[in-house]
Amino acid sequence: MSIAITDPIDRIVAGNAIYARQTSETDPNAFAELERGQSPEILWIGCADSRVPETTVCNCAPGELFVHRNIANTVHGNDISAASVVEYAVAHLKVRKIVVCGHTRCGGANAALTDLDLGTTLNTWLHPVRELRRKHRAELERLPNDDARAVRVAELNVHQSIDVLKQHPAVMKAVSEHSLSLHGMIYDIGAGKLWLLKESRGKKDYGLWTPK
Amino acid sequence: MATDEISKYLQQSHDRIFENNRKWAEEQKTKNPEFFEQLKAGQAPEYLWIGCSDSRIPAEAITGLGAGEMFIHRNIANLVCSTDLNVGSVINYAVRHLHVKHIVVCGHYGCGGVKAAMTPKDMGLLNPWLRNIRDVYRLHETELDTITCEDEKYNRLVELNVIEQARNVIKSAAVQQSYAKNKYPIVHGWAFGFKDGLLKDLEIDFEGQLKSIQKIYNLTTDMLEGS
Repeated sequence: MSIAITDPIDRIVAGNAIYARQTSETDPNAFAELERGQSPEILWIGCADSRVPETTVCNCAPGELFVHRNIANTVHGNDISAASVVEYAVAHLKVRKIVVCGHTRCGGANAALTDLDLGTTLNTWLHPVRELRRKHRAELERLPNDDARAVRVAELNVHQSIDVLKQHPAVMKAVSEHSLSLHGMIYDIGAGKLWLLKESRGKKDYGLWTPK
Repeated sequence: MATDEISKYLQQSHDRIFENNRKWAEEQKTKNPEFFEQLKAGQAPEYLWIGCSDSRIPAEAITGLGAGEMFIHRNIANLVCSTDLNVGSVINYAVRHLHVKHIVVCGHYGCGGVKAAMTPKDMGLLNPWLRNIRDVYRLHETELDTITCEDEKYNRLVELNVIEQARNVIKSAAVQQSYAKNKYPIVHGWAFGFKDGLLKDLEIDFEGQLKSIQKIYNLTTDMLEGS
């Protein structure tokens, strides 16, 4: 691969120029359409990890996914940032689905396997994920290695985020009116593929959309 | 639509994501059979992007970057509030653990969050978040009040919001301490326009801004260091 541009900022500015040109060439009205507004069907809550670019891995176009990405796709009950994203997406944009997507090889899930000091900010943010490790100690100990444990923690964390989302007033209202469903997923970084999660306690199917 | 039709429609839009994902994964493997193995080994992104949740601005797509190249945080109106642990954790991890070289705060013209903040209405749960944008207006009231055209005023507020949020990133302890030691990261402020799909550099003078904030917000010395 030849690298013509070495400065990283020049590189993305050039990348953007290519994007703008190609988008207009493919569809001369593309930007005029986008300028008119957005009506995404899906709110995507994912990890900040650079290896999981949601629109790219889902092969979606700009305008399809409303996005919140943070460390380890964690939704805290008292986090006003995520709560505002959810409020705007559900009550104002009226998205029909919320996807919470964790992933394999997640630095946050890995960090949650130990109590290693990551500094006060990250320790506080990851506290609920570390609590999952304590709550599920027996199950995690039975797993063959730390990779498997990190994936399981990532799954449990997706379920926990969904549980928190279900308490959000706008979500409760939209779910009860049958206009919104919640879906848990894991993205496998080593395979490039998404898996759907099923609720482990057997009562409900979070992952698959199951009409009636 | 009847209930059955809605169910069918939802099932289809849901399946589409998985079909698209499979297609994308196959394409990557055809182009580079090692692609996913390499990603599995870890991430070393050069950039942290702090952008808006707006569905029309997928950061990687509009900058032409691939998986593994950019660490991403997106929230309503790309705000960086000092009390927000969510963005604080992202900045911390990106700067202290991933050692990113550039942080881009990117807003966009036509931002619904900025518009909502300028609407004199009770937005319920969104009030405390949007209040930060009203505060940006107050900081730049003199300039904004001289603009008579409503659209121009709104566009300028989008830009000023980016500049203030970039300043907030510079105020963080992680950025100040890393820059003192390593000479990176550099913080940039950009605005995306739907008219042409291009990014506009708001030309933030990083060193100048850093100096100016440090008169009051200097956090380069870690109080707990060595204790």
